[in-house]
Amino acid sequence: MGSNAASAQLTRKNRWERIWLLAKIEFKLRYYENRLGLLWALLKPLIQLVIYFIAFKIVMRNNIENFAIYLFAGIIIWQFFSETTGGLINILKTKKYLYEYSNMSKIEIYLASLISATLGFGFNFLILIIFLIAGGIDIGWNLFYFPFIFISLFIFCFGIALILSNLYLMVKDINQFWPLISQFLMWLSPIFLGFEALKNNIPFISFLNPLFGYISSFRDVVMYNTSPDFTIVLINFIHAIIALCFGLFLLRTIGKRASELL
Amino acid sequence: MNKEISLQLSNVNKTFRTSSKSFSTLRDRLINFYKKNDVKTIKALKDINLEIYSGETIGVIGRNGSGKSTLTKIMSGTFIPDRGGQVTKNGTSLLLNLGVGFSHELSARENIYVNGSTLGLRISEIDELFDEILEFSELEDFKDTKIKYFSSGMIQRLSFSIAIFAKADIIFLDEVFAVGDDKFRKKATEALKQNWLRNRTSIIVSHSIGTIKEHCDRTVLLHKGELKFFGDTEKAIALYQELE
Repeated sequence: MGSNAASAQLTRKNRWERIWLLAKIEFKLRYYENRLGLLWALLKPLIQLVIYFIAFKIVMRNNIENFAIYLFAGIIIWQFFSETTGGLINILKTKKYLYEYSNMSKIEIYLASLISATLGFGFNFLILIIFLIAGGIDIGWNLFYFPFIFISLFIFCFGIALILSNLYLMVKDINQFWPLISQFLMWLSPIFLGFEALKNNIPFISFLNPLFGYISSFRDVVMYNTSPDFTIVLINFIHAIIALCFGLFLLRTIGKRASELL
Repeated sequence: MNKEISLQLSNVNKTFRTSSKSFSTLRDRLINFYKKNDVKTIKALKDINLEIYSGETIGVIGRNGSGKSTLTKIMSGTFIPDRGGQVTKNGTSLLLNLGVGFSHELSARENIYVNGSTLGLRISEIDELFDEILEFSELEDFKDTKIKYFSSGMIQRLSFSIAIFAKADIIFLDEVFAVGDDKFRKKATEALKQNWLRNRTSIIVSHSIGTIKEHCDRTVLLHKGELKFFGDTEKAIALYQELE
């Protein structure tokens, strides 16, 4: 009996229930530890919504229809991205207690955190649906595309989280560099800027900034009830696969020495 | 005793690199790009070959800095040996080092579930064992208290109580016989014997000659990263005491 086969069998038996357990506990830690509870999960995007609304609607007077809903849809995608990328840079350090002394695979630890963030996103998504209904916007059958877009986003974030947290083992100040890169991505996404303005002024934007595609596809299917631009969906999927492969490669090479390096 | 191999190490070396300058940030890497980085290498383990059969209780002794902890970490898979070395394990393993494996932000209850799950138990099994674990650790009154408010003795007791129910084929015990007060220690040693030492492969690292003598079938003696002796416990202890 091979060593790896045996240990894989034993851990696979309770793998998914363990991931779910960790995800639930992390979700609880994030939202139920403070007095505001789940309200806090909602408060953050709402405050951002107010800020952007004042800046871009009241001061700069853009002419995007249903701007509040437009903003909220962008913000919740962005929040999922930033929670699961920048938020997970330290994951190998903070979760060291989980993998250092047992056979638990590090992938499970990432998945648990991503699933926990997905729960948060799910909550925000419900709020968005309520906004849409309240705003008199019809939700149509194009919502059918949403799971595919989200899965692609999930894989992309997983990949970026793997890349960042493994690079962190070698260069600790990635903590300070990532927010800068992140700012770039945010300002070049159609969160508060119009989709057309970005697309017409910056060539290859959908290649350069994956978030551009994720946010606009998400709006297409949820808010505008149109099918997404399939070229963009495909490009995003390629982004996701590249990020995941590179991330897994780093986990295999650098990440396996995590307990020595930290 | 059946002679099925449980754990095998061949040509295992472990070298640690330490550099005099800090190269752990991108800034330092850029600034010091053209400078030579004098790296010191420390050979923590030199060419270790050994075989452990299933069901055996093995002791590991040696002076401070002889490589005991590095060896157990390599055997358990926490550290990776240098290129060329191979560790073959038949089954799952668990490195028990009291008090680690807990999150201080979580309550005792949550830690029992998380820790139990990483040790290979199913949630339904933990449900069944939960009261037993608490009772053994004598921490019934603190089950919903966060671990960060626990004393180190309480954390060790909890850690120990979960570990005796762990499902692993090989267990590494790194100085765990110093747990709790006298009364708890006796109970703990007895439970460990029942659950682990009698029927599964165990590797005990200890400075206490008494502990090694009492439990171990065979013993590894390490000295300055080399395997000095592996065999009869009495003989290993005698050789250990001859080292200056």
